[in-house]
Amino acid sequence: MMEALLAELKKKLVETINLPDVNPDLIDINAPLVGGELGIDSIDILELVVMIEQDYGVKIDSKEVGRKVFASLKSLAEHIAAHRTQ
Amino acid sequence: MAFTEVFITGIGIISSTGNNCQENLEALKTAKSGLRPLSLFPVAHPFPAGEIHPDPVSDPGLPRTHALALRAAREALAREDRPPDAIVIGVTTGGMPKTELLLREKNPHPEAYIWHGAGTVAACLARELKCPGPAFTISTACSSGAAALIFGRALIRSGAAVRVLAGGADGLCRFTYFGFNSLQLLDPQGARPLDKNRAGMSLGEGAAMLLLTGAGEVPAHAIARLAGGGLSCDAYHATAPRPDGAGALAAMREALADAGLSAAEIDYINLHGTGTVDNDAAETAAIKKLFGNTIPEFSSIKGTTGHSLGAAGAIDAAVCVLGLAHGIVPANGGFREVDPLIGISPRTKPHFRPIRRLLSNSFGFGGNNAAVVITAPRETPSRPQRSAPPALRVRGSACLTGAGGINATVARFLSGESAAGRLPDEEIAKDLPPRAIRRLKRLPRLALALAAAAQADAAVKENPAAVFFGTAWGPLSETYDFLMKLFETNESLSSPTDFIGSVHNAPAGQVALWFQAAGANLTASCGDYSFEQALLMAGLFSPAGKFSIVLGAEETHPLFSPLLDASVAGGAAASDGGGALIVTPAREESGARLKSLFFASGDDPREAAGSLVSALGGLETIRGKYDAVFAGIPGADDARAREQLDRFLSLTRFSGPVIDYRRYTGQYAAAAATASVLAVRLIANGKIPRSLAGAGDLILEKKGILVLGLGRQVTALEALG
Repeated sequence: MMEALLAELKKKLVETINLPDVNPDLIDINAPLVGGELGIDSIDILELVVMIEQDYGVKIDSKEVGRKVFASLKSLAEHIAAHRTQ
Repeated sequence: MAFTEVFITGIGIISSTGNNCQENLEALKTAKSGLRPLSLFPVAHPFPAGEIHPDPVSDPGLPRTHALALRAAREALAREDRPPDAIVIGVTTGGMPKTELLLREKNPHPEAYIWHGAGTVAACLARELKCPGPAFTISTACSSGAAALIFGRALIRSGAAVRVLAGGADGLCRFTYFGFNSLQLLDPQGARPLDKNRAGMSLGEGAAMLLLTGAGEVPAHAIARLAGGGLSCDAYHATAPRPDGAGALAAMREALADAGLSAAEIDYINLHGTGTVDNDAAETAAIKKLFGNTIPEFSSIKGTTGHSLGAAGAIDAAVCVLGLAHGIVPANGGFREVDPLIGISPRTKPHFRPIRRLLSNSFGFGGNNAAVVITAPRETPSRPQRSAPPALRVRGSACLTGAGGINATVARFLSGESAAGRLPDEEIAKDLPPRAIRRLKRLPRLALALAAAAQADAAVKENPAAVFFGTAWGPLSETYDFLMKLFETNESLSSPTDFIGSVHNAPAGQVALWFQAAGANLTASCGDYSFEQALLMAGLFSPAGKFSIVLGAEETHPLFSPLLDASVAGGAAASDGGGALIVTPAREESGARLKSLFFASGDDPREAAGSLVSALGGLETIRGKYDAVFAGIPGADDARAREQLDRFLSLTRFSGPVIDYRRYTGQYAAAAATASVLAVRLIANGKIPRSLAGAGDLILEKKGILVLGLGRQVTALEALG
């Protein structure tokens, strides 16, 4: 279940923030999302917030919560799995 | 004649704290807040916003922004018996308050969208106020209003105008509300600038107009003096300010130097102070660096008025003028507790005392910074005479058309064939690093490709320090995609990336990032004449001893362009592109040069042609200087443009070739940029071929091409070899 969600998130991440030169399968799920190798910044995170709300019905509003949720792809998947409505 | 001193001789304000100067003055005295939960349109959680009530729109045909601008302009000109010589308006979204509703209802009629363009606010004022001069527009996001004042001041000091109506306007709309919401930059409790617990801005709306008057002596009705202005660019990030405030500091220092004042002489600072965590931290860092241990009183009014984007810089300046005239230091609404990370507190209550030398900051997306110095009329030392805008020496150039880059375009042109068309996206991006452009759509990519190619052509190591960009429509893909997503999700979700990318100055911001260009960064958006305005601004603001880049570009959008640009709606083949030039102020009269010469309303073709001829130095000069005329004839304005051209040609009896350049570039607003680059290249080439010149090759012995812009405005620039 979690494996499938992680695989899906990797694909959506690459599509949502347009990283054409990144192979989704090679993304490290434990690596920090922001400021890591992928070059993701705060605007990308906000774009992911919109995608997650749209595709999973999970709102991530507070900056405090956001920081924990977006620590890594794994923490993001766990948050979505726990709160998803769709 | 050029006056060195610029006075403020009239003001008009409409904001959430008052519908005129008097009401805003009363609000200043009591620190009244205009923030209330948003009611203008339905949203799930209405955050506080600075709306204007009652509804300012009296003519339902006009967007809110235009109506606000007119209200403030009429107040500023209430005691004047003649129109200003020129109008300069700072604006971000133009007719968006109306356009977003039209697109939501899928309105297919181009005539419904005639007030969409950012430049239509100034055009509307020019029409209503019967201004015979140029109508300029600056769109540098949230610094637009202040940048408009600085440009107005420079126009007067260059001798281009004596009385300039300058200001800013922006109406609240879904586009900006949902855009800032998607960036999580709206404070649910209302803006609390500088406060420890601040959590973002409150959106506002409004307009402020200042009548700027050049004079040798203080005019009897002078209220204040616009004593100085400074422009800079962070060249750091698309939206986030430099944390150390270095860009803000540079703009403030330049404004002070321009006014001939030291920091110690300033007795009040009006902060940009939006209430976002990052802005307030960076701005106060810059203040601390500039003023050291003796910081004068300071405050942000955005906790009471809200942040009115393109209008904000002008409203702030107008409030400074009121404070100066009536002895009031404005209060910083919303502030309760000092932020230990900032360590300094603003003025929390109005302070009734004389203030005479004020500094006002405005910053915006794209890293754009503007600062103005306003003083009592007799307070500042006389400033040195500023000469007319210099010609710009062209050090490198490039263009993009449907045919490709400069070489392909010139080849097409020389064989008499059109280069019009829409270059495939991958062609535009082919030399740009994928990571640098992953968030950019068509227009910023065009701008970057042009910038890189022009710089390569210049073959100089040093990057340009300043950026002057012209675009009529701005990033259409980002704007359209943003709205479509908003409507598809029933006005609940929108893309922060598209929002950031949608501002007209986003491409210029990307060019600044590319070059690390920390100097002035101005985006002109006055319809078909946006490149011509960018060139004029480059002449006024290009730093001596450094390179600048001046460029114009437009993107064609399959659905949006035919609705917006009547020249495209006529069935013209989809085409876009632009041109870019690396320039330096020309010190001598040799080498490839480009110079803006003329700008006026085209409403009266006879008068426009006559003024054009005299501005160019008369018949003999025109016939002696130019081998050919390039005429910019927007398809939508064909009849008027041809009448203007015919009158000009019959007045001058010009016998060289006259080339309707849009036949070769295609119909798009920034075609003048492409044509100007072609003119420079043809002069270097030395001749115009038979196919274009009529009978036989025309040798360009005078090494001069006059590039005219015709239609709603009439403009002239010259390319000399």
